[in-house]
Amino acid sequence: MGDARWSKLNDTAWMTADEAKRLDSNLMTQSNEPMSAETRIKEFEEQALPYTRLLFGAAITKTKNYADAEDLVQETFAKAFRAWQQFQKGTNLRAWLMKILENTYINMYNKKLKERGSGSLDDLEEFQIGAAESLTARPQRSAEVEALNQMASKDVREALQNLSEEFRMVVYYAVVEGLSYAEIADVMDTPVGTVMSRLHRGKKALFDALKDFAASEGYDTTPTKEKKASARAAKAVNE
Amino acid sequence: MSEEINCEETKRQVHEYLHNELSEQEIVDITAHVANCESCEGDYDFEHAFNNIIKQSCDEAPPAELAQRIIDRIRLIDSGRAEH
Repeated sequence: MGDARWSKLNDTAWMTADEAKRLDSNLMTQSNEPMSAETRIKEFEEQALPYTRLLFGAAITKTKNYADAEDLVQETFAKAFRAWQQFQKGTNLRAWLMKILENTYINMYNKKLKERGSGSLDDLEEFQIGAAESLTARPQRSAEVEALNQMASKDVREALQNLSEEFRMVVYYAVVEGLSYAEIADVMDTPVGTVMSRLHRGKKALFDALKDFAASEGYDTTPTKEKKASARAAKAVNE
Repeated sequence: MSEEINCEETKRQVHEYLHNELSEQEIVDITAHVANCESCEGDYDFEHAFNNIIKQSCDEAPPAELAQRIIDRIRLIDSGRAEH
C-alpha cells in the first residue's frame, strides 16, 4: 500500500471509523462461509455494479444535485461492499442496495435532516385521503395524457424534485425502479399502507403541479366543451 | 370465484394494478371491468402513460468516471481488509 494514489484516496474516504467498525462487526457475526478476496470483488463487480445507473437515479432524486449524488452512490457501494456477505442470495439486490442508499443518506446528511421540521403531511389520515381523491370523475383523461406527452422531460423531472422527499422517493422507487410496496416499505422503513398512500398522493400532487405548469406555459388541457361553457359564464358575469 | 366489481373499486386499485400488487383474481376482475368501462379505461390508460413519462424523465446517466471511482474505492477497501 505504498502507492500514493491509494493513500490519497484513503484520506478522502467518507465513511467514519464508527460506521466502518459497526459494519465490520456485523460482517464478523456472519455465519456464511468466508469468501476469498478475488471472489468477493469479482462477484460484487458483476452483480452490484450494474446497478450504478439506478442508484445514481435514486441519489439524484434524493439529493437533487450531481455532486452529492455521486458521493452518495460511491458511499453506498462502499458500504454495500463491506456488507456484501450479509446479502442473502436470491433476494432482491436492488432493494438491498436502495436500503443501504437510504441509510447512507441519513448518515451523510443527518444534520440537515435534524434541522428539518417534523410533522409531515402523511402522518395524518393515510390512505383514506388518497382513496377519496381518486374517486373524482375525470372525463377529460385523453386530453390530459396528450398534454403530459407534450411536456419536456426536464419539466416533469423538476416537478418531481419539488415534491417532498418522502413522496418523491416512493414515486421513484415504485414507478422508476419497479420495487414492490413491501420492498419500498422495507427500504424506507415505513408501513406498506404509508407507501400506498404516498404513491397515490405523490402522483396526484405531481400531476397537479404539472397541470399548473402547463397552464402557465400556455399548454391547453381544457376540453373545448368546457372552454365554451366557461367563456359563456365569463360573458354572463361581465354583462 | 369471480366477482363483479364497480367503478369505485376499480379506480381505487389503479396503482396496485399497474404495480402488480393484486391477486390473480383481482387482476382478472379488474381487467374484465376495465375492458367494458370507458371511464375506468381512461383512468388506467392515463396512469400508465403518466408512469412512462415519469420513467423517461428520471433516466439519468451517471458521469462516466463514477464507475471507475467506485471500482477503485472497493478495491481500496478490500486491500485494507487484507492487511489485517
